[in-house]
Amino acid sequence: MAVKLERITKTFYDNLELGKITGRRCKSCGAMEFPPHLACNSCGSTDMEWVEISGKATMHSIVLPAQLSSKPEYAPLKPFAYGEIHLEEGAEFNAVVRGINKKKRKVLIEKLPVKVTAAIYQRDGYKTVVFDLDEGQCD
Amino acid sequence: MSITKLGRYMRSVSIIGVGCTPFMNTVDNPETDGLTEGDLFGYAALQAMEDAGVNPRDVDFYFHGQASPLNCSNYLTPNIQIGNCFGMKGKASIHHSEACCTGYYALEQAVNAVASGKYNCVLSGCVEFGDSAAVPNHPYKREKITMEKFLQTTAWLYDRNYTRSLMAGQELIYDDAAEYYKRTNGLTDEQMDDTLCWMSINNRKNSSKCELAIERKTYDEIAKENGYNSAIEYMKSPFNPRTGDFLRMSGIEIKCDGAAAVLVCATDMIEELTHGKMQHKPVEVLGIGCGAFEASNPHFEIRATEEAVEEVYDVTGVKPEEIDIFYANDFIITSHLIAAEIAGYLPKGEGWKYICEGRTAYDGDKPINTNGGRTSFGHAHAASGLADLYECIHQMRGDCGERQVKKLPKTAMLRGYGGAQNICTYIIRTKED
Repeated sequence: MAVKLERITKTFYDNLELGKITGRRCKSCGAMEFPPHLACNSCGSTDMEWVEISGKATMHSIVLPAQLSSKPEYAPLKPFAYGEIHLEEGAEFNAVVRGINKKKRKVLIEKLPVKVTAAIYQRDGYKTVVFDLDEGQCD
Repeated sequence: MSITKLGRYMRSVSIIGVGCTPFMNTVDNPETDGLTEGDLFGYAALQAMEDAGVNPRDVDFYFHGQASPLNCSNYLTPNIQIGNCFGMKGKASIHHSEACCTGYYALEQAVNAVASGKYNCVLSGCVEFGDSAAVPNHPYKREKITMEKFLQTTAWLYDRNYTRSLMAGQELIYDDAAEYYKRTNGLTDEQMDDTLCWMSINNRKNSSKCELAIERKTYDEIAKENGYNSAIEYMKSPFNPRTGDFLRMSGIEIKCDGAAAVLVCATDMIEELTHGKMQHKPVEVLGIGCGAFEASNPHFEIRATEEAVEEVYDVTGVKPEEIDIFYANDFIITSHLIAAEIAGYLPKGEGWKYICEGRTAYDGDKPINTNGGRTSFGHAHAASGLADLYECIHQMRGDCGERQVKKLPKTAMLRGYGGAQNICTYIIRTKED
């Protein structure tokens, strides 16, 4: 049997503690699972390998936090936005992007997609992944 | 091309009875304070059976839906705990829970059970106490749910491993669809805001004529009371602040308590089961499409709706232009715009104009959510889907009185949504003699 019992989630967070942002690449079709999962959601293969991602990505939508869509613990992230992220390696997911306020959104919305870069961010008790707007994107 | 191609049912299944309680805050009213899960579910279930002329002992099985049985009812096995309440003691049952989509999956479950040939007549009901929670160690007393506790439990809707950690998926539920719609259709900020406000106005106009709805006062009346000249002027005022990036307070669900039920049976056995007592035409379930995208996926509601809609059109062969009336679970009000466009009920990129012109209210040519939807009829989470079905069936019978739509609907589409995020879309059609 090819499928292995693995601590996928724990490994992802352990790697963040080591300063590495990792996903799993499908050895059958080459698709990237990020955040990482047991099987490939593109072709269904279980033949996957851990890889460190470059962190280079693009942001394709921008939603600003508001009363309903924010929490007090997000305050250190300000200014930030939520949006659709595409990793250079191919995965697509929703994430936080720092460095965007209402004024910058007006400029960025006309230029989508814009370049962003992944960063490791300390939350209460564990590290996670957020993104930063690349320099020059608002010029 | 849809991800999954559906097969056709093994036999025809029809809706023969529906039931629904008022949507309400039970503990706020001395006349309703003390109602229990069994009281509400039992009322809706027995009303559905009475509607069909079927005795509870002739029903083979029941499905039970509830979004939050542990927190709100102190139940782990909710289907069993109400099993003696409505004349079906000893009949087999199962509980299911898909959060706000529960009431839509309720029909899917029942239809599958009959279409497979296993059962001939199945009840499916849902109950929810969205506004109050059981007092532990007391047989019926309840207490109001604080917003803090409600938000704590809704956080559990989202994937613990990654989505909660990444912070975006659970927050995008409020505004993602509006951002997507505005950007891809080139609307101005003001046009998007007008559209969101008019959906709330139209919903309330509908619920003002619906005796089971929790909110009956129109925004025109509310505006006048507060010194504004029109509903839209009031909607843009500090009385209706933005609580999301796009969303205003009026575009959010009104959580409440309630129950609803549906009775389905094999179409060719209706006469035998009802003994000729049924006073209305059955409504056949032509097909049900389902989709699901977890909240970390970009535009999860839109993608899952596209999948479910494509499935149901493919399996039924029905065309969008055949849909006479449309319902969408709209606890975030943008849902009813984007779902209606994906379904082809409103023209793509033009639906917002229909809404702003009032054409989607009950007296318009493209009626949506004639009971008022989640922002006006109310949201008793699991029960809402079957409450929409209850309303739709009565519209198809032509007995909705003041809020009866102009053209008697023959074919309807309903789109369920919820649980970060399940989608369940069905097409039903009045069965002619």
